[in-house]
Amino acid sequence: MSESLVTTRSLGKRFGNKSVLHDISLSVAPGSVVGIIGKNGAGKTTLLEILLGFSPASNGRAELFGEDSFALSSASKTRIGFVPQQDELINLLTGRQQLALIAALRGRWNAPLIERLQEIWEVPLDRLIQSLSGGERQKLSTLAALGHDPDLLVLDEPVASLDPIARRRFLQEMIALTQERTRTVLFSTHIVSDLERIADQIWILRGGTIAWAGPLDVLQESVVRLNITARQPLPRELPLSGCLSQQVAGVRASAVVSNWNAQLQGQLQEQFAAEIQVEPLGLEDIFVEFHT
Amino acid sequence: MGQESDLRLFILQPSSGVPIYLQLIQQVRRMVASGLLTPGTELPSVREVATLYTVNPTTISKAYSLLENEGLLQRNRGKPMTIAAGRRVAVSLSQRLRQIESQVDALVLAARQLELQATELCQFIAKKMGEDS
Repeated sequence: MSESLVTTRSLGKRFGNKSVLHDISLSVAPGSVVGIIGKNGAGKTTLLEILLGFSPASNGRAELFGEDSFALSSASKTRIGFVPQQDELINLLTGRQQLALIAALRGRWNAPLIERLQEIWEVPLDRLIQSLSGGERQKLSTLAALGHDPDLLVLDEPVASLDPIARRRFLQEMIALTQERTRTVLFSTHIVSDLERIADQIWILRGGTIAWAGPLDVLQESVVRLNITARQPLPRELPLSGCLSQQVAGVRASAVVSNWNAQLQGQLQEQFAAEIQVEPLGLEDIFVEFHT
Repeated sequence: MGQESDLRLFILQPSSGVPIYLQLIQQVRRMVASGLLTPGTELPSVREVATLYTVNPTTISKAYSLLENEGLLQRNRGKPMTIAAGRRVAVSLSQRLRQIESQVDALVLAARQLELQATELCQFIAKKMGEDS
């Protein structure tokens, strides 16, 4: 199971003269839950669309299941489940009719799973889709993407219109669905606190490129705030490598660095003859720091 | 064991900035060091913890594996993991202190901001711990 499910090499995308993505090299191991965060317009949706083969790359390469994403075999296409940001449900059908239609198109359908999720998520199946709320549509759209038991589930802003209770139930089921580590999940979101619960890999997308990609634990351990108290006044600007932001006032300083480790702590303590207190940062703070 | 009450053994705070696996490791270490968890005590399964706290199971199994490597936990075929035997409370004071160092650092910072004296803070802590005379 060491094959990489998704691989990109120096991937770039331009629309006319505008570069939307550039130099993106990533890989996803099977069984991962990857959370993609980025501001509006950072390129999240474009990246997902290229990975899924909806749109060709302008430079570099994207591969899915070892095949070129833009020339996927139909066998590989059936291994994907996708929940787009704007759902593609048919307004004049009921939820039940919509699911039956997709089940017929797919040929393979895990009815017990869908029934169970429909109950837990309280999706009203007998109403016309046009009368459903945003959250209900989103849940229905997720059921539609899960029924054929895809190996790769891709969700673009899956929880945006869910209330906190529905989000929690949604996340719990996502955890159950990935429990066996046979299914890989990629999802983009603005709601960073959800990622802290369920993602094991994080990609931070900034201005069309990857500002950080790796395990969530490593991100949290390497991006920290240092509260520095020295015996003598500190230089106006601390020569810190990997520094994302810093404020210095006399003998005190506060800095956020992106490459923290115990060795660096020892070095800095000596260098500045200072006491250094390390403050962990939540993912939301980390995300903000990458954008200051 | 394996009851609901035992599952709430841990306090996992996803947004605290401390990786969840580390929170779990630190808490198990502390509870073993303090004797709250004794050898043979069963821990809730990875699945139970992941579901109850809504966190990725990989995180929990990483913590359990690291604790197993440390010799603190014992993996049992087809059964819950247990606190390893033979590793009685032999943890030295300095080691135990190191385990709460980061919390103490945060406390010291806050105390300085509030201009509290060390003796005042110590008295307060002793009172909280029910050790004031």
